[in-house]
Amino acid sequence: MSIFRMSKREKVLARFAPITDKPGTERAMRIAVLRARRSGKTAKEFTHQQAFDKAVAALVQETPVSAEIAEWFRNEKLIPQSKRTWRKVARNPAVLSVALAVAVIVGVLVFIVMERMKDFPGAGTARKMLTIASATRAGQLDPLEAEAGSLGDFFFMKYRLEHYDVAPEFSEFRASACRVFDDDEGHRVAQISVPEKQMQFFLFPAERNPKDARPLQFTGWRYLEHEGWTGVVQVKDGVCFMAALRGEEQDLAPYLSKDSGAGNGGSSGR
Amino acid sequence: MTGDAEKAQEAFQATLREAALRSAKGEPPADRLWFFRDARWRCVLVGEEGLQSEAGTLEEHDISPQAATQVEQLHPEQLAIWISAAPEPQRSALAVYYLDEFTPREILLLLDLKASELSEFISSGRRQFQAWLNATTPVDVYEEE
Repeated sequence: MSIFRMSKREKVLARFAPITDKPGTERAMRIAVLRARRSGKTAKEFTHQQAFDKAVAALVQETPVSAEIAEWFRNEKLIPQSKRTWRKVARNPAVLSVALAVAVIVGVLVFIVMERMKDFPGAGTARKMLTIASATRAGQLDPLEAEAGSLGDFFFMKYRLEHYDVAPEFSEFRASACRVFDDDEGHRVAQISVPEKQMQFFLFPAERNPKDARPLQFTGWRYLEHEGWTGVVQVKDGVCFMAALRGEEQDLAPYLSKDSGAGNGGSSGR
Repeated sequence: MTGDAEKAQEAFQATLREAALRSAKGEPPADRLWFFRDARWRCVLVGEEGLQSEAGTLEEHDISPQAATQVEQLHPEQLAIWISAAPEPQRSALAVYYLDEFTPREILLLLDLKASELSEFISSGRRQFQAWLNATTPVDVYEEE
């Protein structure tokens, strides 16, 4: 079917198509005129119609106007100028599109700002660890049977990793496997698997200040979520400890003691 | 609309007087369509006072390719008389449409008509006028040229 095939309504509209182009002509009429001009069957008739209408309109324009009436017309104050109301402006499709685009941009910016406000030093690395947690399979870690709190000594003795200590809140859990690996930035990361809710612990170096290379600190616990996993992070002696599980913030909250000050988005004292 | 310049001028001036009066009272007409709406009704009232055209079906012809040339042979008064003889609201529809001042939507608002009604009035008026043109300035005159 041709795109220029005219509907019944378009044929109705084309019969009183504007004689000359007018700025306020509605879209439906413009489409009807376009189709009438392009439609093979009606194009010829429409051309004759338009020539006829133009000739008649030209004749109307030749109608003599008396000087008295012409004088009346000069009194423009009688005819109020139509003002563009804000509603009319707001309904303009171009204005609506721009407003929608601006709203989306503002929404994205607000989202980014909110995310940034939640962030803490080392949040980027912590997210990577959550990705690793979601992809880790049981066979990838070395099996062991030990209390998680005792693995700090193990890491120091075997890998010379100082302060890689499991936080006291999680130190009494039984660990079933662990490993030490280098992340994509060459930092040493310790990963511990715990049967309790299939949690995973991560220990990795805290982010450092580029100016003086000192570890960036933050107080209390900070939550973050990524790929369906939730982690809670604490920094101590330049090392971040993160406990992670597949779930939500509320699944981790009970493990944190009331006075340990878990926070989200910079808040603390949860 | 009236087919009579004097009557049209009277109606027009009455409209302007009404507008001036409203403006003096601090209630000017809401928009420019008010002027045409008011003038239209005054013209219709004037038209009802004189002789009325007989109701009947006018002959209709297809629009001729030579129609523009035929129209050029006319005087504006002839067209005015032809339009003023049309029944209401077709008369108003033809007058407002060929004034070429308004968008289609404005014409519908001004005349309080539906699109299908306006379409029919204009279309049939066009064909009737073509039939009249063919009778007064036959097409074969141009074909011979």
